[in-house]
Amino acid sequence: MKLIALMKKEFHRFFHDPRLIITMLLPGVLIFLLYTFIGEIAHSDDRREFKVYLSGSSAVVAVIEQTLSENEDKVEWLPLEDEEAARAAVRDGEATAILKFSENFDLFGEDASVGIIYDNGSEDSTYFYSVVSSILIGVGMRFPIEAETVKEDAAIGAEILSGLLPMLIVCFIFSACMSVTLESVAGEKERGTLSTILVTSAKRSHIALGKIIPLSCISMLGALSSFLGVALSMPKLMGLSLGFLGGYSVWSYILMLVLILSTVPLIVSAIAAVSALSRSVKEASAYTGVLMIFTMVLSIVTSFLPAMGSWISAVPIFNAVVSMQGILKGELPVLTSLLSLGINLVYTALLVFILTKLLSSERIMFGK
Amino acid sequence: MEEIVRAEGLKKTFTLSKKQQRIEKTGETRRVAVNGLSFSAYRGEIYGLLGPNGAGKTTALRMLSTLIRPDEGDAFLCGHSIVKEPERVRDVVGFLTSDLKLEGFFTPDYLFGFFGAMHGVEKQVVAERKRELFARFGIDKFAEVPVKDLSTGMLQKISLVISIVHDPEVVIFDEPTNGLDVLTAKVVTDFLCELKAMGKSILLSTHIFSLVEKLCDRVGIIIDGKLAAEGTLEEVAMGNLEETFFRMYRERKGEIV
Repeated sequence: MKLIALMKKEFHRFFHDPRLIITMLLPGVLIFLLYTFIGEIAHSDDRREFKVYLSGSSAVVAVIEQTLSENEDKVEWLPLEDEEAARAAVRDGEATAILKFSENFDLFGEDASVGIIYDNGSEDSTYFYSVVSSILIGVGMRFPIEAETVKEDAAIGAEILSGLLPMLIVCFIFSACMSVTLESVAGEKERGTLSTILVTSAKRSHIALGKIIPLSCISMLGALSSFLGVALSMPKLMGLSLGFLGGYSVWSYILMLVLILSTVPLIVSAIAAVSALSRSVKEASAYTGVLMIFTMVLSIVTSFLPAMGSWISAVPIFNAVVSMQGILKGELPVLTSLLSLGINLVYTALLVFILTKLLSSERIMFGK
Repeated sequence: MEEIVRAEGLKKTFTLSKKQQRIEKTGETRRVAVNGLSFSAYRGEIYGLLGPNGAGKTTALRMLSTLIRPDEGDAFLCGHSIVKEPERVRDVVGFLTSDLKLEGFFTPDYLFGFFGAMHGVEKQVVAERKRELFARFGIDKFAEVPVKDLSTGMLQKISLVISIVHDPEVVIFDEPTNGLDVLTAKVVTDFLCELKAMGKSILLSTHIFSLVEKLCDRVGIIIDGKLAAEGTLEEVAMGNLEETFFRMYRERKGEIV
């Protein structure tokens, strides 16, 4: 009954204050709008420099140069000697595309053909392909363009997302947890309202859980809002289509949710413990800021150095980052994800125990 | 008379921070706030702890309400030890002090219900007590106004009714009339008399002589954390409480200022 009353109070505090709701949900909306906007800008006004391997010749080449120069774009033509090496260069981003005209190319001839090999993961390469195809169609070409891509669509999206998204998710979870937990624990301690609860006969463990459970649920809303904001705007930011998001199975989404669900209470408990140790919201913010930077840096390292060994499974938060990477790459790391869930829950329980001890300590709660 | 509160050799020492040592120009690292305090309070009486600022009154009351633990000694409230059974003690004690604040966002109505639940009081009983106490203190008109928008006097009344939401046997009030206007102060002191008439035991700390003379049946004078005198008001005052207090103070401290 006391635990329920404590939990209800936290929910009441949050859901009856429109400012808190807006503060919690707004980041997701802003992230979506901002990233989409940046994506629009970033992929519309660039002056591009293309390196294209050319085989055969045609008057169309001059038209392509002319068209590109109108947008102040430049193109450098390289002779196509070794097609495999050229393909590798396109795949690695060293060249834009390969353009192949058939021998004695005649735009209106019966045997004429144009082949273009481009990198569908590169904005520049895709743009070059669209320019060339528009020109050929515009001049009245009578044959189809033989277009070939060097990467699978889903693979490109997954590659980018698996590197960035887990780190961003952890950052957004952290920010969401910070905004409510600091105010609820350090804020109540600073204002003296926590002492009023401590003087009642509620158990310290109930007071700790009465904070952690509702704050985790509330933080979850904020984290999901930010997650959706990032997930929906990221393709636009990267110049990709939203379609490949549907390429993940229901289990991928369930595992992802499980990982987020286990990470939120862990971070809330950690921030709550730091808040209980601090004398004011300001002090708690400073300590939590350091904790956040530490988490972010390690998340980035984990994101871009995937071969870190199995020991990472024992490290809370980072095990979740590695599992999320796997999911976004299209794998289904069930064992690692469940291990992460278990380990995160163990650490959460440990932190709840520490918070209970801190709430029982008069030096921490009432020390000047 | 039934003994409701018994303090036995309570001692509490605090560590002085470097900053405090600098401010007070002292090299001592520990300060004894309460030093071997023993006294008893009985059912249906008001017991006053009288002393100057820094004498250890608030520390003694905070130990009795289990907010802090004594370094030595123990106290029993309704037979429950503050050291061994702090949660049981909290169920029989109502504590009012300026250090305990109410969250400004919530309304008196919500807070009364919340603290009722915190003490495990049935919803129906809480509703009944709320109706009765809110009407008694004129809070009913402000029941749905967030606490942050209320006056100091109204806030003190709300803090008072919330501290006794669970109908405790022992009511501990630390400087109950501090910062109140004369009208609110009278409402509070009248209510203390009502609680006494209801058979509750009241412990209050104050440095206001007139308050002790008006309310207290028994009084303990506390100077430097030690009990300098204890007894009925007549026994301790010996005709004039103020003069007796200053004489005791001079005997122990040597000077008034």
